[in-house]
Amino acid sequence: MPQAANNDKPGAAVIMSGPVRRPPLAVVLVAIAMMALGETAGAAMSRLKPEIQRYAAARVAANPQAHGFSGSAEYDDEVRAQAIFSAEAALSFFHLHAEGVGLVLFFASTLVAAFTPGRRARALLYGLLTLGGLFPLGYLVYGAAVLELGRDAGIDLAERWILAPLGVSAIAGLLALMLVAARRRA
Amino acid sequence: MSVAAEASIWRVPPRWVLLVALLSIACAEIGGASMARFKVELTRWARDRMLARPAVHGLVGVRDVDERILDEALVKFDAGLRLFHMHAEGMGLVIIATTMTTATLVHSDAGRRALIALFTVGGAGYPFGYLLWSALIPFYGIQTGKTVAEWLVWIPFGGAAIVASWWLAALLGARLVRRA
Repeated sequence: MPQAANNDKPGAAVIMSGPVRRPPLAVVLVAIAMMALGETAGAAMSRLKPEIQRYAAARVAANPQAHGFSGSAEYDDEVRAQAIFSAEAALSFFHLHAEGVGLVLFFASTLVAAFTPGRRARALLYGLLTLGGLFPLGYLVYGAAVLELGRDAGIDLAERWILAPLGVSAIAGLLALMLVAARRRA
Repeated sequence: MSVAAEASIWRVPPRWVLLVALLSIACAEIGGASMARFKVELTRWARDRMLARPAVHGLVGVRDVDERILDEALVKFDAGLRLFHMHAEGMGLVIIATTMTTATLVHSDAGRRALIALFTVGGAGYPFGYLLWSALIPFYGIQTGKTVAEWLVWIPFGGAAIVASWWLAALLGARLVRRA
């Protein structure tokens, strides 16, 4: 990693940095694609709100058993509204997390490229961070699963099989990067 | 430095791009601070403008009804300011990341210039749509303000950023496939 130099000498020119290494193309692609998906989801949420609500209502109506419809209009309306709200919230979370996690993957993997010694260690960190970079896709699954399987079963599926493992991968990658940085400093 | 080593390092985007990105982040921070510091003044200003235009907001002169309408408009007014704060902060970082990628990995001069321009102009302009929406709500109402902001800012600037993002993703994907 290029180091800042001359900062301890008063009056000397401060050298900020030399060249900074970049992560592999595949990692950069995942980060950029995630940001692109996040931006597109944001636009869709704004421009296609009625269409999304109609689609969600249609999917809920197509899966009455999964949603536990009772035949009572009042109760069923409330269940339907909750499911549609959850699906919209999932899209909103996807928009927010895809933009943010795309940036986290971009900058964290640049740090890995810049100061993690050893090819294997770098490959491991890229792997963990890239898997973590896919975390926002869990919210798309969340939204779809809520409509198809019912609110509780859908949330459970997305959390257990996608959001938790990918989120843990991101956290593990970031913690490992912190350890690498701390060891370098020591 | 060897060609192989040079290929694996980041190239910095043009200085004006970084300046725009930092300006976007600075505007977001100032926006956030202003929202907190001048919350009461901003709310009072918006409320006074709305009360001066009862027909625009559908105010009927019945306190219970009007207060609900005013509350809803004020919530949207506040939401517009918050969304400006959040998007300007985020898009500043998105501009830095995407233009750095473009400067490093897009080899065609014309493509690189076009992408950098789209990312910078689109990314920096888009958040101001939220500010415009907030400013328009007291004068033209929630829906008219939204439509104006949508057509003047969100669609052209947001569209530019989205097109650029997918264009860059497609170029990177094609490069990865070629390499494989």
